[in-house]
Amino acid sequence: MINLKIDGKDVQIASGATILDAAEKVGIQIPTLCYLKKVSPTGACRICAVEVEGADKTMTACNTRAVDGMVVTTQSERLAKIRRQIVELLLVNHPLDCPVCDAGGECDLQDICYSQDVVRQPFEAEDVNAATIDHWPLIQQVPNRCIMCEKCVKTCHETIGASALFVNEKGDKAFIDKDLAKCDFCGNCIQVCPTGTMISKPFKFKARPWELRKTPSVCTLCAAQCQVDMHSKQGKVLRVTSEDGTTLNDGNLCVGGFFGHDYLNSTERLTAPLVDQQPSSWETALDKVVAEFSRLRDEQGGQALAGLASPHLTNEENYLFQKLFRVALGSNNIDSEARFSNLRAARVLQAQLQLDGASNRLDRVGQAEAVLVFGADLRAESPALNWQVQNAARKHDSRLVIANQRRSRLVAQAESFLQYRAGSEAYLAGALAKLLVDKRQADLDFLDRYVANRDELNAYLDTLDLDAACAATGVSRAQLEEAADHLGQAASVAIIFGRDVMGSANAEAAVAALANLALVSGALHGDIGGLFPIGGKGNMQGLIDAGVAADFLPGLQDYATGREKFSAAWHVTLPESGADSAGILKGIEKGTIRALFLAGSNPLVTFPESGRWRKALEKLEVLVVQDILANDLTRMAKIVLPAAASAEKRGTMTALDQRVNKLRIAVEPPGHARPDLAILCELFARLSGKPEPSEQTLRREMMELGGHYAEVCQNLEQRSFCWKKPYAPTDRSLLAATPELTTPAAADLQLLVGKCPFQFGTTTTYSAANNELAPAGLMIVNPADADRLGVADGGRLQVTGPAGTASGKVMVHAMVPPGLIAASDNFTDMNIQQIMPSGSNCVPVTAVKA
Amino acid sequence: MAEVVFSSWGGKIVDNRQGGEPEAAVFKLPASYLEEGSVGAFMGWDGVIVFDKEIDIVSMAAEYIKRVQEKHCCAKCTPGKRGTRVMMDTLARILAGHGDEKDLDILTGLADLLDNCKCTLCMTSAKPVLDTVKYFRDDYQAYLRGGRKSKQAKAYHDKLTAPCMDRCPAHIDIPAYVEEIKDYRHEESLATIRKYMPIAAVCGRVCPHPCETNCRRALVDEPISIMVLKRVASDYEWIHHLEPPMQPKAPTGKRVIVVGAGPAGLTCAYYLALEGHQVKIIDMLSEPGGTVAVGIPDYRMPRQLLQREADIIAALGVEIEYGVKLGRDVSLRELKEQYDAVFLGTGAFKSKPMGVVGEDQGYEGFSPGGINYLRAVALGEPIETPKRVIVVGGGNTAIDCVRVALREGAEESILLYRRTRKEMPAESYEVDDAEDENVKFIFLALPTKLITENNKIIGVEVQKMELGEPDESGRRRPEPVPGSEYIIHCDLVIPAIGQDPDLSYLKDGDYGIKQTRWNSIVTHGGTMMTDDEGIFAGGDCEYGAMTVVLAVGHGRRAARVMHRYLMEGKVYLDKEDAMEDIINNLGAFDKNEKVGICGGLHREHQPKIEGADRATHYEEIELAMPESQAVREAERCLRCYRVGMLAVN
Repeated sequence: MINLKIDGKDVQIASGATILDAAEKVGIQIPTLCYLKKVSPTGACRICAVEVEGADKTMTACNTRAVDGMVVTTQSERLAKIRRQIVELLLVNHPLDCPVCDAGGECDLQDICYSQDVVRQPFEAEDVNAATIDHWPLIQQVPNRCIMCEKCVKTCHETIGASALFVNEKGDKAFIDKDLAKCDFCGNCIQVCPTGTMISKPFKFKARPWELRKTPSVCTLCAAQCQVDMHSKQGKVLRVTSEDGTTLNDGNLCVGGFFGHDYLNSTERLTAPLVDQQPSSWETALDKVVAEFSRLRDEQGGQALAGLASPHLTNEENYLFQKLFRVALGSNNIDSEARFSNLRAARVLQAQLQLDGASNRLDRVGQAEAVLVFGADLRAESPALNWQVQNAARKHDSRLVIANQRRSRLVAQAESFLQYRAGSEAYLAGALAKLLVDKRQADLDFLDRYVANRDELNAYLDTLDLDAACAATGVSRAQLEEAADHLGQAASVAIIFGRDVMGSANAEAAVAALANLALVSGALHGDIGGLFPIGGKGNMQGLIDAGVAADFLPGLQDYATGREKFSAAWHVTLPESGADSAGILKGIEKGTIRALFLAGSNPLVTFPESGRWRKALEKLEVLVVQDILANDLTRMAKIVLPAAASAEKRGTMTALDQRVNKLRIAVEPPGHARPDLAILCELFARLSGKPEPSEQTLRREMMELGGHYAEVCQNLEQRSFCWKKPYAPTDRSLLAATPELTTPAAADLQLLVGKCPFQFGTTTTYSAANNELAPAGLMIVNPADADRLGVADGGRLQVTGPAGTASGKVMVHAMVPPGLIAASDNFTDMNIQQIMPSGSNCVPVTAVKA
Repeated sequence: MAEVVFSSWGGKIVDNRQGGEPEAAVFKLPASYLEEGSVGAFMGWDGVIVFDKEIDIVSMAAEYIKRVQEKHCCAKCTPGKRGTRVMMDTLARILAGHGDEKDLDILTGLADLLDNCKCTLCMTSAKPVLDTVKYFRDDYQAYLRGGRKSKQAKAYHDKLTAPCMDRCPAHIDIPAYVEEIKDYRHEESLATIRKYMPIAAVCGRVCPHPCETNCRRALVDEPISIMVLKRVASDYEWIHHLEPPMQPKAPTGKRVIVVGAGPAGLTCAYYLALEGHQVKIIDMLSEPGGTVAVGIPDYRMPRQLLQREADIIAALGVEIEYGVKLGRDVSLRELKEQYDAVFLGTGAFKSKPMGVVGEDQGYEGFSPGGINYLRAVALGEPIETPKRVIVVGGGNTAIDCVRVALREGAEESILLYRRTRKEMPAESYEVDDAEDENVKFIFLALPTKLITENNKIIGVEVQKMELGEPDESGRRRPEPVPGSEYIIHCDLVIPAIGQDPDLSYLKDGDYGIKQTRWNSIVTHGGTMMTDDEGIFAGGDCEYGAMTVVLAVGHGRRAARVMHRYLMEGKVYLDKEDAMEDIINNLGAFDKNEKVGICGGLHREHQPKIEGADRATHYEEIELAMPESQAVREAERCLRCYRVGMLAVN
């Protein structure tokens, strides 16, 4: 500890702290302008100059480390003059466009002028009057307003890892420039800009800050669920921001959170119920749903009915959805898109580790000594995890190991890059676990205490042949050893895995191998690090927790085992079994399933075999679609129920790190649209004859019957979020698995489905901002393959996979290895899922120039 | 040297403008600049020096601050960015005849305010401007009154420097690469280093870092770990398996031969290759690095990293042929005929004799020299290190020998030095390291005779010494104590007194290449060209055994001049080179400066393998500094940039 004196006050503070930190600790305010806590201090503005005894020159509080015995003065005539003159210099040729400046009213430069009594301008210089930079998408840069604080540059580099911004030119002509190719368009530069230099083009001239109503809520575009403020005016969300310091995401947002909200105001929003494609009243529409579903239930039994819910629904809505089907309709034919990814992981993790998702909080990644990112493009799949990895790798000396088929951006920051072949995931994770044991770097304390079948694990790893692993994965022995060393030498390990793993043909084996690796590496040991399956869309975790799956009840309880318990609790006899999505598809095709209820789910784009789904849906007698945006699906539906988006409804959603967030209503749903819960409640009551459940009742049921939500989550009145029950396995309760190891068959050309970094599901394809960045699906092709196929960047390719054919625009880039095409499933036009079989996101394809 | 008309340099006012008996003032500035003209004045961080009274000092100040603002100011702090801009425009206004008295107050006030700058670039640039306002007020008044026409000198030449950068023989832009580490931009940091040196992994490990003796931070607390930060930047690329980004320019069709794959040769080849020349290196050894490879043990400089640096250079299109010795396998004449230019970077690897009776007798147990011993071990030659080894000398090679001897199985390894520990030229941390490994030191002892039995060394007779008056090197001269001779028993004696270049390859023809009396090659005027046109030389063969970083500096300078020679047929220094040398001669560090800021922060050290056990292997002892620690260290840098400008008339 260090003792110093500031303005006569004694301060004790940890070694390494700055004068500013010390002053803050005792409530002494030193004016700052360029200081931003979440990035390294810049010391650019010099406003925080203070006097230190023994030093003739002033010292800047933000970047001068406090040392023992220091005597600091923060207010004096000399300092006041310096600070005033500095602001005067800042104002030399600063444009007088405050009235129309985007930052007017929330400008730090205005505030500092006011606080430092800057009322005159003694300095004069020729006006450089640099032209506004207007050619960047979504972001406008007005150099004349820039005070060169570099907050944007530092945030872009240190926090986001995009490193797109830089200072160009010298002297007074210097300005913030950008390498567009590197930009994530996350908008954090706009958020941290103290003046109106970095501007959001979509928001510009839409509102003055004081006109906006600020509603704290969460972004639900991905499962990280960042804490945000929705700014609305006249019933429209006009911008989304997040606050530094007080939010779990520390004010950081991504292109979805910052720019992606525009879909809320899309002209494609569903505003009135449709019956037979004609606008109708709610009464008519719901009467129709009740009539059709009760008729089929009564005539053919619950097995003729099916429903698919989605991660767009809240916990309460998903819970009620499955209850509606199981209790009111007597049908267990329910499922969701979790089937193709996270549910596969959750089942394995549940069986082995008693986990239904991640083992720890997001921010525990940022301090881990080693991070393994396996089969995930964090920039696209989980920006919030990417920020954590940036924090770990950049600020905490963490060793970063990336296992990926593609060369993601993070690879440049990685100590080890294991470029594996699709289908060899289990081999790769297994080989790493084996090496940790062989090198005596396994976490033996943890294994001894928690793992019930150590011998089985040892025997399994003993027989794992490293040469065969190298052959199967395409990763060299040296690379494996190096990666194992990085993981093995770390006292805390975070393992993150993504869609490439959870969607792969051998997902269960891959996740089991990663679970083994988590046990061996100590990732589950202690407070730092953990195991993190990336959640995909907004409420993926809540969707799984709610039990919207034919084989699982709430709390991931096995349906067959839990059926009796739930029958008793719900006072019904639950159906003996049910169909999952594959079964539902077959049932529709066979005609045994006659009615389908889709709540926020779109199998026409999001599900594999989407072409087959399209044909199947045409056969249905009754198709009910409850959604927020018009699409091909709503155009096929017999009944369309317009729902509310997450910014327009109440309820809770569970983030990928087991954080239960409360949604707040920022704006009312458009037209006659209603919150999903209201619709489901009414349907439940009318179809079951029971009273409409309240939000609280549903949460209580989820807690009591599901068993994994903590007590505190039931009553969220005073809080914005709570944590589910913390992960605390009992001794000798965890199981190592012995997943089958397969060597993938050779393939000339494969296609891997992933996520576009600029789009979130299909939702943001209704946002103009996101479409400006990514208007259509791309097929990313290695230059060698492009040559071979005779396509150039910007050309088109037609790809045929096991389930069909799709075509799309080509992007030639070496981030994909030869023999692999990467495509994203966010786009209705390309609809890449129409070529994909169920159960594998990477398949052999043939491709021709289109 | 021209007479000083006026000087405020260093705060000392010399004013001979009024005539009378001129006050003497001597500055290490040349009287003329290249072929261009005479040096009229110099303006920089420490004031103004005027040699020619015809120089219009107001115009010069205006030009100086304009260059600071437009060419050098990084714009990363408010007073610097805007303050120098206002100064520039104010001076321009005065020159144009639109100034008034208030403007002089603005200049004076801003000079004060610039004391609050983030770094010293703009801060020190205000100093000469302020001096002109103070001491040339009449000239300003003449402008303010109107009628005075601005008179520009024939030419102005400016140079950005910093004390560390100036002191570094390779003149690396140290503040830039340190700041890039502070900003978590390790790749950029390495790119900056590579503008001046291609072998950062080496100079990040075994550089004697003269820069750190010129570090202004040392005037506040402790110098920055400049060398280690260079290793951090260099290792980052290696640890992260990043592809070096350099791309050579289009081929020029010129062919260059570089003799010696040591630091000088590799550096020269690197910069020539980047310019698009076709470069071939020949080396007598079987691997790259020269003395760095076979003279510095792996625990200090892992050879795999040296190999990596050479591979990077080879990837630029440089061909390296090993096992070819100049003078043995090929003659200089042949090379001269076959190539458009030749660079000699043949090093200094011939051990100096110890001057002891019997050393030329070929006794078993007497090594021809420390460097020979280290080379034999490095190359895995079949030599045996016996139980008790004595190494004679006090330099880095001597230290390397005693430590290597331990690793080669010696039970006792003794260093014999005629002065005391304080006078040892070896790096003090290396002496500590040797001590940690249980090396024995015998100070104030001079070997006088080899003791042998059957032509085999069994010991050394030494004489005790005591320190007398300081000699020309400033160190106290050791003087023998009569009658103090005694015998130390040992099985191997390794003299490590120093090395000389081996220039025997010059003997097979009349090249006209002059040599110094220390048996090194003479080059001219900083061009690195020998007396034989088209043959350049640098590094130890030019200077005598010196440092890696000097060799790198030579290699780069030679490459720059050779490029001009190849493309224009002319050998000359350009403005950058010339200003570099002029400022270097003047000096950019004042060890008595009062920096005026608060310190109290310790220098960060990289972790290392501790304990005598490490003397059983060749694993690198110094471990990588964690990045967060490197950032913390880089934050201590004061970024002591400064701009000097010459007016030529």
